[in-house]
Amino acid sequence: MKIRISEKLDDLNTLLEEIKKGSNEIGSVIIFVGSVRGISNEGEKVLRLEYEAYEEVAVKTLRNIIADLKNKYGIIDAIVEHKVGSAGVGEDTVYALIASKHRKEGFKSLIELIERLKHEVPIWKKEITEKGSRWIENI
Amino acid sequence: MIRVKVKYFGRLHELLGVREEEYEVDEITLADLLLNYIPSRHESSANAWKENIFVTIRGEVAIDKNGMPMLKNHVILVKGKSQDLTYKLKDGDEIAILPPVGGGTK
Repeated sequence: MKIRISEKLDDLNTLLEEIKKGSNEIGSVIIFVGSVRGISNEGEKVLRLEYEAYEEVAVKTLRNIIADLKNKYGIIDAIVEHKVGSAGVGEDTVYALIASKHRKEGFKSLIELIERLKHEVPIWKKEITEKGSRWIENI
Repeated sequence: MIRVKVKYFGRLHELLGVREEEYEVDEITLADLLLNYIPSRHESSANAWKENIFVTIRGEVAIDKNGMPMLKNHVILVKGKSQDLTYKLKDGDEIAILPPVGGGTK
């Protein structure tokens, strides 16, 4: 398990190689890449996003989520990296990799991981558009 | 007197213009800290603070049946553990006030 919150994400291919090396039982790696969209939900042109995290709690929460997924779906391993700081349009902000024996539990785990990442992990996102800025919150 | 550290995230640190600060207080509750001490130190943002943090009715903080102010979608962690507003602060506590986290659309 690897969890990293940083201003710079690691190279995705390196992460893929890293997770595959962990076990010879791995038959599937499902990858999620989150990146910055150029148009906001309100149709405004996005200039950049700014992320901030309560890092120690974010890491702990992600560790618990991955432990839950291991128990629930029997996945073998997971890596999550999340960017903090400023991210321009097109820039990658999240990498999540789920390694499992078979694809089915990998897909289910990845969906649950990302949903919980968005709702439980203390990372905040501010959207800066041509018309202004606002914090994006799931209320 | 006890000394505690308070951390603000997201729009709260923007509102108050500070990411973290210390308070020297008596052994008060979290409710006292949020309702009285923080707005007193940040007078110019006091009303906006209360409206961000608490459920308000016509500008007044709503009180629940136990006499506690009603939080609005915020989580309060003390040393990384969620606490309600009746929690009594202890020396060395680190309090983090977390606005709702932001994810995005599905």
